Amino acid sequence: MTPHNAAAPETDLTSLLMSRAMTDPELRRASATAPSTRILPDVTVLKVGGQSFIDRGAAAVHPLVEELVEIKQRHRLLIGTGGGTRARHAYAMAAELGLPTGILSQIGAAVAGQNATMLGYLMARHGVPVVGAAALPALALYLNDSGAAIFAGMPPYDMWQRVPAEGVIPPYRTDAGCWLVAETYGCASMIFVKDEDGLYTANPKTDPSATFVPRATVDEIIEMKLPDVVVERPLLELMRNAKHVRSIQVVNGLKPGLVRRAVEGEHVGTIITAD
Amino acid sequence: MTDVPSPLMRQTLLDRELVRPIDRPVIRMLPWLDVVAIGGHAIFDKGRDALLPLADELRALLPGRKLLMLTGSGIRGRHVMSVGYDLGLPTGVVASLASVEAEQNGQLLAALLAADGVSYVSHATVAHQLAGHLATAPAVVSSGYPPYGLHEFPPEEGALPVHRSDAGAFLLADAYGARNLVYVKDEEGADALDPLVRELLTTAKHTRAVRVVNGLEPGAVTAALTGGNAGTLVEA
Repeated sequence: MTPHNAAAPETDLTSLLMSRAMTDPELRRASATAPSTRILPDVTVLKVGGQSFIDRGAAAVHPLVEELVEIKQRHRLLIGTGGGTRARHAYAMAAELGLPTGILSQIGAAVAGQNATMLGYLMARHGVPVVGAAALPALALYLNDSGAAIFAGMPPYDMWQRVPAEGVIPPYRTDAGCWLVAETYGCASMIFVKDEDGLYTANPKTDPSATFVPRATVDEIIEMKLPDVVVERPLLELMRNAKHVRSIQVVNGLKPGLVRRAVEGEHVGTIITAD
Repeated sequence: MTDVPSPLMRQTLLDRELVRPIDRPVIRMLPWLDVVAIGGHAIFDKGRDALLPLADELRALLPGRKLLMLTGSGIRGRHVMSVGYDLGLPTGVVASLASVEAEQNGQLLAALLAADGVSYVSHATVAHQLAGHLATAPAVVSSGYPPYGLHEFPPEEGALPVHRSDAGAFLLADAYGARNLVYVKDEEGADALDPLVRELLTTAKHTRAVRVVNGLEPGAVTAALTGGNAGTLVEA
């Protein structure tokens, strides 16, 4: 067989791709010259927390739904969901049974899916659909039709989830999953809707000495060696290499109007930047 | 609303001290599983001359064994990547496109072994129904590419997908606690292996060593799976 004769666009990257190992440093460098188009450049990705938000029930979720319906009149939204207390219960059980990270990843995905289902029913009368992984190619249509779409935030890594250095809790969960959607689609911004104003130097729910951090870089947060961070730690590492979504904002969705203001670019919570 | 009581209740999963109390040894879900990862470029791109003898060798290995065969993407994967990059598509989209070629190579191998009870199965089947399928068949074939797709990590440098078929086979073998993971390449050196596998070896729960064999050399895969000292052993 002569494997190198398939017609492809003639660039250095092409000839290297057709001839070198994927690990070749020259090929890797050349791939940096490839343009990267923003697929959905005007869309804002919102992540609605599981434990921090949906588990609070109607008191938290109903007002947020009203706010999201209002925001989507003017801004196109992709709304990802977190897991929450049921995911924690399932993770704890599975870990105690000695099951591997891949199984925990599957279970966590199902809980984020339940939360997406519930949010979807609440937003159905406003024309907002829930999209599964297989329906993502139709996302453009949903966003055009209704201005928003809901998805389950867990990345689809399943049995292929990376394992943590210690224990079995999946390192890449719904924070990473939602951000990766924003990054791959080249979205305008990524906002995490939680039940705290943003990042604190400790968990504000359990430590009264915790102080608020309005803005920080990824390096600064890692350097602070905080016992507890408001977003998944591996997300901070992913952000370092981001091409498009190099900053995120964590906002308190329990305070009316903050999500809308964040979508409109205001600094109302903690902004975390790659550099 | 109330919480479901659990040791992780009302904590963020981000606090290392709080996650540690439920640390337990991880079981090997499929301790009898042999995973064979077959290179796209190294084997499939060489066509009939490389593939038919290898298929014969794999066929002879089937009795008394449970094999998961995972395939790489090769030259067509490279071609679709080059078109994708030229069009300005992001890494996550290119990763999804390249993984299709690994699937096609898997379909080809499964077709060669169909008469021996071997089928191509999807990622969903591998993740959720592998035990059932291997209870009735000696082996199944699937794509080595992990299902990262649109959720592929942004690479540190450039735009090439981070998780490709070598890494995919490793993550799966470790998650199932497989007893063997053999990479079938066209040379036996450790250099033939994606460096990411070396990195993954350091945190793996079970897979602390893999073998890289030259699949063009008759008997190398058999030796690797039957306890022989074939190819190169790469350890954590």
